[in-house]
Amino acid sequence: MERLKNARDRAVRLWKRQPLISTGLALLLMVVVQTIALGFDYPSFGDWLTAWGRNWINLLRNNAGVGIVALGMTFVIVSGGIDLAVGSTLVAVGAMVMALVDVGPNGLLKALGISGIPAYFIAILVGVLLGLALGESTGYLVANRRLPPFIATLGMMKILRSVTQQFTQRSSPTIPKEFLNISNFRIGGEIILPIIYWLILAAILHVVSLHTVFGRQIFAIGSNERASRLSGINVKRVKRRVYTLMGGLVAITAVIQIARIGSMDYANAGSGHEMDAIAAVIIGGTSMSGGRGSIIGTVLGMLILAVMNNLLNLMGVPPFLREAFKGLIVILAVLLQKRDDSNT
Amino acid sequence: MNLLMRGIHKAFGDNRVLIDVNFALNGGDICALLGENGAGKSTLMNILGGVLPADRGEILLDEQGARFLTPSDSLNAGIAFIHQELNLVNDLSVYENLFLGRELKRPNGLLDHATMIDKTLAVFDRMGITLNASMPVRELDASHKQMVEISRALQMDAKLIIMDEPTTTLTDPEVEHLFTLLHTLAGQGVGIIFISHKLKEAVTLCNRYAVLRDGYLVAHGDMQGVTTADLSRYMVGHDLVMEEKAAPQLHGKPVLAAHGLTSEPYFRDISFTVHQGEVLGVTGLLGDGRSEVFRAVFGDLPYTAGEVLMDGQPLTIASPAKAVAHGIAYVPRDRKTNGILKDLSVLDNGSIVTWPKFAKNGMVDEHRQRAAFHAQRDALRIKMGQDDDPITSLSGGNQQKVMLAKWLSIAPRVLILDNPTQGVDVGAKEEIYHIIHRLAREGTAIVVLSSEATEIVRLCDRALVLFHGSTAGEVSGAMLNEYDIMRLSTGG
Repeated sequence: MERLKNARDRAVRLWKRQPLISTGLALLLMVVVQTIALGFDYPSFGDWLTAWGRNWINLLRNNAGVGIVALGMTFVIVSGGIDLAVGSTLVAVGAMVMALVDVGPNGLLKALGISGIPAYFIAILVGVLLGLALGESTGYLVANRRLPPFIATLGMMKILRSVTQQFTQRSSPTIPKEFLNISNFRIGGEIILPIIYWLILAAILHVVSLHTVFGRQIFAIGSNERASRLSGINVKRVKRRVYTLMGGLVAITAVIQIARIGSMDYANAGSGHEMDAIAAVIIGGTSMSGGRGSIIGTVLGMLILAVMNNLLNLMGVPPFLREAFKGLIVILAVLLQKRDDSNT
Repeated sequence: MNLLMRGIHKAFGDNRVLIDVNFALNGGDICALLGENGAGKSTLMNILGGVLPADRGEILLDEQGARFLTPSDSLNAGIAFIHQELNLVNDLSVYENLFLGRELKRPNGLLDHATMIDKTLAVFDRMGITLNASMPVRELDASHKQMVEISRALQMDAKLIIMDEPTTTLTDPEVEHLFTLLHTLAGQGVGIIFISHKLKEAVTLCNRYAVLRDGYLVAHGDMQGVTTADLSRYMVGHDLVMEEKAAPQLHGKPVLAAHGLTSEPYFRDISFTVHQGEVLGVTGLLGDGRSEVFRAVFGDLPYTAGEVLMDGQPLTIASPAKAVAHGIAYVPRDRKTNGILKDLSVLDNGSIVTWPKFAKNGMVDEHRQRAAFHAQRDALRIKMGQDDDPITSLSGGNQQKVMLAKWLSIAPRVLILDNPTQGVDVGAKEEIYHIIHRLAREGTAIVVLSSEATEIVRLCDRALVLFHGSTAGEVSGAMLNEYDIMRLSTGG
């Protein structure tokens, strides 16, 4: 009896110290339901396994883009900010990259006589630099000009999409087939490169968040900006870098998405990414007021959203209604986290 | 109203915070509730205030059993808790704050401003104070804000008022005014519980006392004939040996200096020099500008004239980061707003400054970070659990030691301490004094900012007294006494 009580106490303590356990359990539960929903009506176990695996690859690949954005969003939110401009940054960078690699009559690099691998390399480099520069500008507005992040990024969101649409009205770029290999090159017969990019970036940023000076300082600033400044941290620089990093990650996402489908709808691409990314971060246990959060949590949060979407799809819930479930799960997640807080 | 708390027990996990505590208070009494940090004062008062439930025990009001599940239960029973951090809405006026959440309305549903103002003035009258009821709270100073809090308690018909360290932000005349007010209220039958670390004030103000130590009520009774020495003995369980002031000694070379430093409207034409191994005190009353002077020195506030010199060389310190690079460390006042990273661990709070120092290619060297912190933890005798525990799990005194630890691990040449013993109990205060003297002996140049003259006399070799942002004088040797400091800081 006594031993049982001790074991329970230990479990409770672990639960409180590691709020991600509950997130992980929720995900596990959803995966079980999802597996059941997928059904077992297959001729052989091998066939079932293939179908199950395919379903997972599709699910992960479809969410790799937002998943990468959510990684950067974790840093932004931990620092005490928010970034609404990610979707618009995505189309701005996307338009730039497409214009550069275009092999049609308007291709920029083609006009300079550059094509093939060097052209792709330059296009990606310029795209990433543009993403970094846009992020740095947002960071400047937030850190140096002290604009509330919501306002600064709302402004950037409007500006970037509008300008991109204006300058791309008449263009219909043709993306060379080879460029698509960046995302679509098959490994073991499957298109899994976007998933690999996502996981590699997640692993790198996980280490950055926990073990680098930059990462630790983000948490310090999000927890108490004034105390961080008075401890000799260059708060402005760290905050600027957080938004710069976000811009860079969005640029990478843009390249992956262009290489995946070979085109981009500038009016709609990426819109909703900011909210999905924020939702994943919040479900993953990051505090909206900053100072607390984790990359692993965000990956789990993204998976919960993705598995749920997949589950609703398998169950035949109409697409319009699926968004409602997304909203529900965000509210539920935060309610649960709130209860954890008040108990401690 | 008579209060009796009987057989109160409270534990947080394995940590027993209150053990069989019996506490009584009659209407019209002013009782000092004393104890070191972590002795259980706050927990006991939080149980009375409906913030926490007791594990066992009962609360009787006029011999009637009472159950407080929420703060509003306790408020409805006539118990008001005035916290150290005042609970006022700065953007609203005085009377709006008094009626916050229980506004008076006219039959048509609109607010009845006139009656609320009248009732506010009636409460002020009862308290014997004059204050404009329509003034925004933002424009009031700390002592008047406190009076607004007390008026609010009275407006809600409080029969018992708990005051948690009400004097920390007040100047001496303001403290006197507050005490007169509390006596007036006691005369009207209101019971007052006065939580404080300042024993002198407790002896002056209160007619009853109760001392908690490690969760037990170790002493209580009539204040008549009780001295501060008695009280501090009850608090720590043995006689406190107050260290004698170190004999004046020769100091090394000047390290940090300022000439004619000015930043209107905070301060003007401030000059000082602090030497190796010297403890320089800077003191004055509220609004003297001493905190601002050293925020400017630390790069946290721009100055418009004058210069800062390090080793005789003029410096431009544009940000705290630059100051740190020059070997200047700064422990700010108001630990909660300026010092603590509440979401981070004890270890992170104690090593935030060393992250860049112990980094290789941008990666924090966790081994060295931990080793450096542990060295300071042992040297400063920080009482803590695991490195990864949240900083908020430590008592005030230990949190303050962590604030010191983070700077000591980079071995600063100049250490600026603003109000270093704020919200720290007697025992930890002595320890912090010891640490400051040890650092000075080891050659650190130290600046201590404090409003407590006793602290300045006890700690410093020399002190600068400021008055409304200007230098009122410098005291050292025989002049370094409470009387002369008070004379200068009141502009005399």
